[in-house]
Amino acid sequence: MTIDVRALTFGYGEFRLSVPGLRFESRKVVSIVGRNGAGKSTLLKLLGGILPAPKRSVLLDGRALSELKSAERARLISYVSQELAPALNYRVIDFVLMGRASFVPTFSVPSREDRRLAEEAIRFVGLDGFEDREFSQLSSGERRLALVARTLAQSPQVFLLDEPTTFLDPKHEVEVMELCRKLAAEKGKTVIVTLHNLEMAVKYSDEMVFLKKGEVAASGPPDRVLSEALLAEVYDIPMAIVPFDGRMLILR
Amino acid sequence: MRGKKGRLIVLFFFLSPFLLMLASLSIGRYHIPPLDLGKTLVRTVSPASFPEVPPEYRDILLRIRLPRLLLALLAGAALSVSGASLQALFKNPLVNEYILGISFGAAFGAALSLVFLGKGFPPQIAAFLFALAAVLAVLVVSGRSGSHTVSLLLTGVIVSAFFQALLALVEFFANPYALQSLFFWLMGSLSLATWSDLSVSLPVMGLGTAALVLMRWRLNVLSLSEEEAAALGVNVRKEKLLIIVLTSLSTAAVTAVAGVIGWIGLIVPHLVRMMVGADNRKVVPLSAALGASVLIVADDITRVAASFEIPIGILTSLIGIPFFIFLLGRSRKVWL
Repeated sequence: MTIDVRALTFGYGEFRLSVPGLRFESRKVVSIVGRNGAGKSTLLKLLGGILPAPKRSVLLDGRALSELKSAERARLISYVSQELAPALNYRVIDFVLMGRASFVPTFSVPSREDRRLAEEAIRFVGLDGFEDREFSQLSSGERRLALVARTLAQSPQVFLLDEPTTFLDPKHEVEVMELCRKLAAEKGKTVIVTLHNLEMAVKYSDEMVFLKKGEVAASGPPDRVLSEALLAEVYDIPMAIVPFDGRMLILR
Repeated sequence: MRGKKGRLIVLFFFLSPFLLMLASLSIGRYHIPPLDLGKTLVRTVSPASFPEVPPEYRDILLRIRLPRLLLALLAGAALSVSGASLQALFKNPLVNEYILGISFGAAFGAALSLVFLGKGFPPQIAAFLFALAAVLAVLVVSGRSGSHTVSLLLTGVIVSAFFQALLALVEFFANPYALQSLFFWLMGSLSLATWSDLSVSLPVMGLGTAALVLMRWRLNVLSLSEEEAAALGVNVRKEKLLIIVLTSLSTAAVTAVAGVIGWIGLIVPHLVRMMVGADNRKVVPLSAALGASVLIVADDITRVAASFEIPIGILTSLIGIPFFIFLLGRSRKVWL
């Protein structure tokens, strides 16, 4: 599924986000980077319909996002916020099952098929055997994976993940990013993430979007757009790009 | 709670209110031997049989005890299911219809209706309208987040106090005769239940409770943050309002006939969660069953404990408030 952004503006208080045009395609992982408060999360929420975008400024395969009903939208796009704190201590299987909400009528309970899809999603993220574990017994890495599993159970075309790797140790960080690649490559999904770790972004994304103060400073494949001048402009501190073993290290 | 043993426990849960109800029919000032219950029933159907059964049994059972026990059964289920639903919706273990102002909103509405519109007009209507007004006021005043623990509880207390003051004002203007019945009703009592009151209240309680039980899985999703629930495809505004309307409806129906029976909606869901965990698919229906049992037993206690009847609202508060304080300090296993 292709997302087209056209003349998108959104503001609250002093902050103003304006994106003249961007395109996100399926089979690709796109990472949005920039300083805190640059508008990364806001852009992601606008793409996910969590914040109301102006009419016809976000198009899904040509259809306006604002015209979709909540359940219809949720079957196409999933959005995962940074914070993760369910109030109740659900078991992993019950938590992942909630991803099926847009398929289950309001006055009904999930079917056997919903449960099967939830179990499949749990296997996909590698949490098999954890189905009956309660949330309080999970590490923050495992919670993150449970969250990704819930998103998978939602079976959308587009995955919007807001800082999916914060608070994760290097192993889980890599696991989550590998999972994003797998979603794009094996399942043909459109994956859009916001990240602070630039090396991860460079390594795992097909395209990057650099945001500065609500505006797009640059966008495109990392090897084409990434430069020391751009990093200095976006992050306001000097950084060095060092080629190493076929990869790029970013030193600050 | 799965497998054969789990099934048996669930079966026991759902049978117990009905068994308790049957047992409670013979309990009271006027003892009716269990065997005579059946005989009275047969005699009601065919008046010629069992001439040795006293005729007053029939009046006691059908006109006093049966409506009262039906009310206990449904009110217990309605209040507990409302409590469980509100706790999930507001992501807050300390919330119930009492804390959110629904109970006193309903009490004020019912009192207003009884004093100024008379007994002929169903008090349930005004009870529902003011219950809804109270909870919406709490939501508006406590801010858009609506889930912030402290501000929600604090606003609930303030709005409740406001409606209690309005209630006192109604009592002040009521004539002494109306005041006396108002007084007993307000403390919470199932003894005033007559078939004509129940003909309105029972179906409403049943409807509200049944709808909430059907929404039991939806409550899992709604217990996530509003942003998450929306991202999962739930129309949060609409469904939140729906649950508030349903809980106000059942609570108003209970309050209009039985007064303020506090704290059942807090204790019961917590007890159930301690047994079966957080999943509302189990918590909501089992709260209905346990709530019904608890209120039937509580009513039995009020009937037999003393030579006069203790108002049930006082009994449930006496047990519920220490429990509330106990919960304030502990239990983090079910709630994260």
